[in-house]
Amino acid sequence: MALREKIESGRFVVTAELGPPQSCNGDVIRKKAVHFRDGIDGVNITDNQTGIVRLSSIASAKILLEEGIEPVIQVTCRDRNRIALQSDLLGAAALGIGNVLCLTGDHQRFGNHPESKGVFDLNSVQLIATVERLTEGFFLSGERMKKAPDFFIGGAANPFADPLEFRVLRLAKKIRAGAQFIQTQPVFDLGRFGKWMEGVRKLGLHKKVAILAGVMPVKSAKTLHYMENEVPGIRIARETIRRMEEAKEPKEEGVKIAVETIRELRRMEGVRGIHLMPLMWENITPRIVEEADLLDR
Amino acid sequence: MVDKDPVVRIVTLEKKKPTRLEKFLSQVMLFLENVIKVPLFRCQRCGECILSHTAFVCSQRCPKRLRNGPCGGVGEGGTCEVYPERQCVWYLIYRRARLLGRISLLNRIEKIHNWNLEKSSAWLNVFTKRIEPPVFFIRRRDQDGTERED
Repeated sequence: MALREKIESGRFVVTAELGPPQSCNGDVIRKKAVHFRDGIDGVNITDNQTGIVRLSSIASAKILLEEGIEPVIQVTCRDRNRIALQSDLLGAAALGIGNVLCLTGDHQRFGNHPESKGVFDLNSVQLIATVERLTEGFFLSGERMKKAPDFFIGGAANPFADPLEFRVLRLAKKIRAGAQFIQTQPVFDLGRFGKWMEGVRKLGLHKKVAILAGVMPVKSAKTLHYMENEVPGIRIARETIRRMEEAKEPKEEGVKIAVETIRELRRMEGVRGIHLMPLMWENITPRIVEEADLLDR
Repeated sequence: MVDKDPVVRIVTLEKKKPTRLEKFLSQVMLFLENVIKVPLFRCQRCGECILSHTAFVCSQRCPKRLRNGPCGGVGEGGTCEVYPERQCVWYLIYRRARLLGRISLLNRIEKIHNWNLEKSSAWLNVFTKRIEPPVFFIRRRDQDGTERED
């Protein structure tokens, strides 16, 4: 069953995130993919995240398809204008890729080519509308195409960046533009996430879109400090940092926190799935999936 | 449901030669916009003005030139992720919109930018119907910004 059907059938779904290598070595993807075999319904392929050049997300997705894993390609507006975006999306559809996550993209200033020109011809809301338009069989120009691609359209949400009220409003915009599923930034602060979900439920948005909450297992307190100080728009609860700092075995504690977070999120009304982001720690995925009882859903 | 067409509708510039009157008007309007809009709103002259939707704060100051709301990188207290010494314009827009009761306008999905209009006179573009006219007044019942099923 495809990711779209699983979500539409009301099943609690689990997706994971995979970063392609900074080289042309496709075996890296095959090796990482092994960890995403059991209990994972879809694997996101990042699109040159943080502005660092990596193997293309569409090519990586093709490799995953060959491995029998369902990919979700991330598409950002940083590097391509509307012509290239539409062309790449058609290419992805021709290769059999059915899920797209539409993002604005990190600013190029954070990457390894900070002097490059950011395109940002569209933004994430408009990109969602663009993909929807393609699935209806039209280009942005209004011209009709012979065969329309079939995409399951996703968007991102960051419940942790300010201002909180605007975050809900922006989610509503993405849904109106055509988003069918939403993946959030990693939850390290359940309190804040709960507040955001409250706003979402108040507008009934959770009934219109499947919200998959992000969970990122971390290896050490150092990673948490890095996330808090260097990654914009991330919020971490004091309690989580304290637990990681005081833990004798930080890795074990990291797994424990991730599993507890997943359990809490699963109980929350309106959360329809989990999006795992085991950054540089892909091999922990099977353990977390098992310990959080996500294997038989 | 919102009509999807406005998001993707693009009006291209006419190919015909501009008349002398149009040339003159364009120069006058551009001059006026440069002396009024640029200092007052820090207008970036995108030619497709949405100032009235964004509580009269120019959204095009955003390093990503976002037209539909803030990106996910806004820091605590509304700092810009790209230039931490600056305030996120969308944070300012949100604060101003609340103050002016114009939150409902932020619900609009702004159209994909027409780059043909870049650096042209937005006021002239309104008169020639290339872009939508600004919204000055909003009904009282819409001022709190809650979405209603129509």
